[in-house]
Amino acid sequence: MAPTTEPVLQVSGLVKHYPLTRGILFRRQIGAVRAVDGVDFTLGRGETLGIVGESGCGKSTVAKLLCHLERPTAGSIRFRGEDITGLSGRALKAVRRNIQMVFQDPYTSLNPRMTVGDIVGEPYEIHPEAAPKGERRRRVRELLDVVGLNPEHINRYPHQFSGGQRQRIGIARALALRPEVVVADEPVSALDVSVQAQVINLMDRLQAEFALSYVFIAHDLSVVRHIADRVAVMYLGRIVETGSDAEIYEHATHPYTQALLSAVPVPDPEARARRARIILSGDVPSPTDIPSGCRFRTRCWKARERCALEVPPLAVPPAFRGTPGPAAHDSACHFAEELPAGDCAELGVHGNGPG
Amino acid sequence: MLLEVRELYVEFATRDGIARAVNGVSYGVDEGETLAVLGESGSGKSVTAQAVMGILDTPPGRITGGEILFRGRDLLRLKEEERRGIRGAGMAMIFQDALSALNPVVPVGDQLGEMFVVHRGMSRKDARARAVELMDRVRIPAAAQRVRDYPHQFSGGMRQRIMIAMAMALEPALIIADEPTTALDVTVQAQVMDLLAELRRAYRMGLILITHDLGVVADVADRIAVMYAGRIVESAPVHDIYKAPAHPYTRGLLDSVPRLDRKGRELYAIKGLPPNLTHIPPGCPFHPRCPMARDVCRTDVPPLYEVGADRGSACHFWRECLHGPDH
Repeated sequence: MAPTTEPVLQVSGLVKHYPLTRGILFRRQIGAVRAVDGVDFTLGRGETLGIVGESGCGKSTVAKLLCHLERPTAGSIRFRGEDITGLSGRALKAVRRNIQMVFQDPYTSLNPRMTVGDIVGEPYEIHPEAAPKGERRRRVRELLDVVGLNPEHINRYPHQFSGGQRQRIGIARALALRPEVVVADEPVSALDVSVQAQVINLMDRLQAEFALSYVFIAHDLSVVRHIADRVAVMYLGRIVETGSDAEIYEHATHPYTQALLSAVPVPDPEARARRARIILSGDVPSPTDIPSGCRFRTRCWKARERCALEVPPLAVPPAFRGTPGPAAHDSACHFAEELPAGDCAELGVHGNGPG
Repeated sequence: MLLEVRELYVEFATRDGIARAVNGVSYGVDEGETLAVLGESGSGKSVTAQAVMGILDTPPGRITGGEILFRGRDLLRLKEEERRGIRGAGMAMIFQDALSALNPVVPVGDQLGEMFVVHRGMSRKDARARAVELMDRVRIPAAAQRVRDYPHQFSGGMRQRIMIAMAMALEPALIIADEPTTALDVTVQAQVMDLLAELRRAYRMGLILITHDLGVVADVADRIAVMYAGRIVESAPVHDIYKAPAHPYTRGLLDSVPRLDRKGRELYAIKGLPPNLTHIPPGCPFHPRCPMARDVCRTDVPPLYEVGADRGSACHFWRECLHGPDH
């Protein structure tokens, strides 16, 4: 592979299981929460990968694994070709400089007893080589300016800022070490609509300015579509479908993606009548007890016997292999197909699903 | 009119002074009608609803003016006992966070049944039978077995169904749902909104849906009231408002939503922040953030101008906003 097209991040077979134990003296493992259960993706330079999925699908665990906040049970994460999964000590610290995180909740992710200057400058305490001591204050002011905050407010405390401003502080902190990759876990979901747009625009601008690659994790499909170049849809610890934003949003072939997209309320009352919705029955199964075969089959209206026996691989489905159309992208379904245009409301499955 | 709120004022005593949360709000909802009250945090949408339900924390809250007419009777003049009779049987509320709204140490069946014991004087046994019926009606699978389960044993979507069942129990004429699906995933949100719409139709209830989600509003509402800084800034039938908003705040909100069917380069963003309720700007409270603001906006509070059939906008320049091509 030519160095120019080499991905910044390459994730393969990523697994994170949290053991469930019983007993005090003799702790036995009685099972595991399979939070992430075999995830593969790549992130290109300057690219934004959106990861969408509902609560419990493992998207936040993926974020923690990427930032080395958790150790994977199996699988590997490569940063610019180098396997960073097993790193520790100094080598790990060096890599971490390049992968920074923005958290969801700007109310709990900033230390209330530290000033904004100390929060944004803290990365320099941990990585003193990044900026000489005399420089740091100036750099922090610059960072505040870059994210649209008043540099004069460097001595204020987090509670003196609104939610949107706090999220800007979190973003400034993530940028302090000039990372190549920023992992943002639900960065705007705690914000009001009018403030969300400001933060999304800021992240867009910073990406161009600092040549950042983003892993953007969110449950809000319209936000992800706006910001992402490629999208991965997760369900119960696995990616079930992935492709360019147009491939996923306009030509989804996995039934879960189709249901998810059809459930998003569209801010247009005229669409109310013509919108075909797929209402899934039941709830997401527990990650301690994942269904055999295809993990979506318990809520899927297409499920047949094969789905319980065979795990569908994440690949271009046979039906679309060799076809040039946008439907030919990776989809982990035995019976992948595009929805017929127009009315598909009869696919809606009401009633007594499991759970 | 089933419920009519007239010129309601609510304020809170805080350490930083008096927070004026609701400043002259009027709205109404008819039987079988769905009114969406749209606003961001701090807009006063939930406080108004709490005043209607009579569950406002007083102190620090205080209703300083206005009337709340339910079937023509002013609720603010009733004794607490009389209001208790209306709560549950006349109107009921669904909260955002079912886990904290339900009692964690009482089985859900008993919590549902309590409605019948208290309001209808039923025996525990009959009340439990009614609880199972209700859980069945909101499509909780295996209701008869699950009636003894505790709230934490249910998923988020199922808990929200229990909240709905509890609100529906006495078949009230009015339901107030405060962000009923905000804490839920989209696929579950769709299930719950569907259920709510179906029950509302079946019982011809009035529904006040409090939300910040423009998508949810477009899906279910008949009318919208948009709130900002404790005032209604625009009120209109749902189709009109999405087609042509008559207030720059509504317009800004609509334009700042990223839409699946419109991937633009840059999102429109309303500049600045919502106002601090202890220091609401003089004149039009939206003027510091408004792209159309002029001198008059800084001094004169705009009344709710009548801008069309059944439509109002609290903007001095609503004509421009309604017909203007751009911001």
